[in-house]
Amino acid sequence: MTSKNIVITAPNGLHARPVGELVKLVKSFADSAVTLSTPVKTVKASSMLSILSLGLKQGSEVEVKVEGGDEAQVLEAVSSFISSITE
Amino acid sequence: MTIKGIGTRGLAAGRAFMKPDVHMDVIFCGDATAAFKEAYDAVHADLEELAEKEDVFAAHLEMLEDPMLSESIEAFLGEDMPPVAAVQAACEQVCGMSEDTDDEYLRARVDDVRDVCRRLERKLCGDVFTWGDMEPGSVVVADELLPSDTAEMDMSKVSAFVTHRGSRTSHVCIIAGNHGVPVVVGTDISGITKGDVLLVDAYAGEVIVCPTPQQMKDFEARLDMEESSLGEVYEHRFEPAVTREGKKIPVFANAGNIGEVVSAMEAGADGIGLFRTEFVFMLSNQLPSESIQFETYRDAVLACKGKPLTIRTLDIGGDKALPYMDMPKEENPFLGLRGIRFSLAHPEIMCPQLRAILRASVFGPVRIMFPMVDTVEELSQALACLDECKLQLTQEGISFDRDIEVGIMIETPAAVIMADKLAQQCSFFSIGTNDLTQYIMAADRGNASVSYLYNALSQPVARAVAMTIDAAHRAGIRVAMCGELASDLNATALLLGLGLDAFSVASPAVPSVKENIRK
Repeated sequence: MTSKNIVITAPNGLHARPVGELVKLVKSFADSAVTLSTPVKTVKASSMLSILSLGLKQGSEVEVKVEGGDEAQVLEAVSSFISSITE
Repeated sequence: MTIKGIGTRGLAAGRAFMKPDVHMDVIFCGDATAAFKEAYDAVHADLEELAEKEDVFAAHLEMLEDPMLSESIEAFLGEDMPPVAAVQAACEQVCGMSEDTDDEYLRARVDDVRDVCRRLERKLCGDVFTWGDMEPGSVVVADELLPSDTAEMDMSKVSAFVTHRGSRTSHVCIIAGNHGVPVVVGTDISGITKGDVLLVDAYAGEVIVCPTPQQMKDFEARLDMEESSLGEVYEHRFEPAVTREGKKIPVFANAGNIGEVVSAMEAGADGIGLFRTEFVFMLSNQLPSESIQFETYRDAVLACKGKPLTIRTLDIGGDKALPYMDMPKEENPFLGLRGIRFSLAHPEIMCPQLRAILRASVFGPVRIMFPMVDTVEELSQALACLDECKLQLTQEGISFDRDIEVGIMIETPAAVIMADKLAQQCSFFSIGTNDLTQYIMAADRGNASVSYLYNALSQPVARAVAMTIDAAHRAGIRVAMCGELASDLNATALLLGLGLDAFSVASPAVPSVKENIRK
């Protein structure tokens, strides 16, 4: 298992459209289980409903965890996607 | 037996086709997890097939596949809950968690989740119901019809709709109106069973269930008469509507996309009195560029073949959100940031739209119409924005119609009261009676329990219409009407008496409204 903490920089937080893209990206890594955690709860990154229910705003911190598959590569791909959201 | 409700227009006879209620009281014994798995697979297969035809089902499929929903259902199954109860509990859990959000898009997904869960419950109850089993000429009878129902059924097989819930302006009535299908809503359907012969008189809002031979004969005579007079009316659809006093009244059509412009022209419309632009903004998951908008508006102008096209600027906000825009949740969307208020707050959306409309105006007569105008200040701001766009285009050497006419929708009490001042700043009014009625009467048009107040023919609304027309005529400008009331054949004489200059109606109503004006 490998993990990393990221601070959301997107001005509108993690809202529906980019989350849809994120879910697609996560689903493309069939061998890895990816989760997002806040101090309150942990959700699967393959569920749009779950991620949206976290209500991540700009400045929120989230922990990305990857288990299985090429963990380092998947972690890098997912965290850089989240950091690259600018809308 | 005769049952009563609220009707639209038209007559139809046919056999009842029931959308069944799901019986949740089925006693379940067996392997709950296996039963759920089977239902899930069956629903998945159904939705995959449906998604090829309608986008709404692709969204439903996405929600069905979302692990949050299926895991929640499995957790409840693990607590030995019977499958239907587990789906219901999971549905409430998922939707409840997401309803607190201020994300507009997520709340739309909540509706998709509910729709998908209903589908799973039906499968689990052994309900093999599909709209595909419907015979041609059916009268669809339902407690309530969801957008997914009308998207799934073959409208050419529907002769009428009869529902318990809903109002005259609800989704099903609008879809039915576009297909010329009569509807009676708000009626007690408990006495109807599958296959019953139903005579639907939407003018009177009445349904005769299992008619006597005499009732049947009378109704058939009325149907014949309507058909032959409709046929005759249809033949005269391209001729102008001239009143007995010799005044020529344009009858325009309302359109929401290019296809509807084409059918409006075939129905004999004298132009498009309301071209809704929301569809251009809903086509993709981002804001449409100026050039995409320009191409769309140009195509609409060309489809009008020289007849005027009135383009309404974006009427979005509140209940109608743009999925890709982060729009804050409002307590009262109908009293919130919508129509011109939204456009003025978002010049980055308003300016490209106005530029695109201006550029399209060289291809034929185009008019611009602003929705939801409340005050003279709003109109002045919008006109300033339009002037700025004209200046830019001139500097860029791009041509447009310099005399383009600008008008506004009259749909709030404030606009009615200030109509004299507003009339000095624009070339025409178009009264939007659907919203105007709900704002004047302070009655939600979707709420069946106050539907007795929602009556566009009531005195308060009629007075507002009269005040608007008087103010406009004193200022020397024209008034059209583009709400449902304009299509109401019972209102034509009244509206002409009040001095209305033009009608804008649903395409199928064009020939009969023209004929009514000639009487």
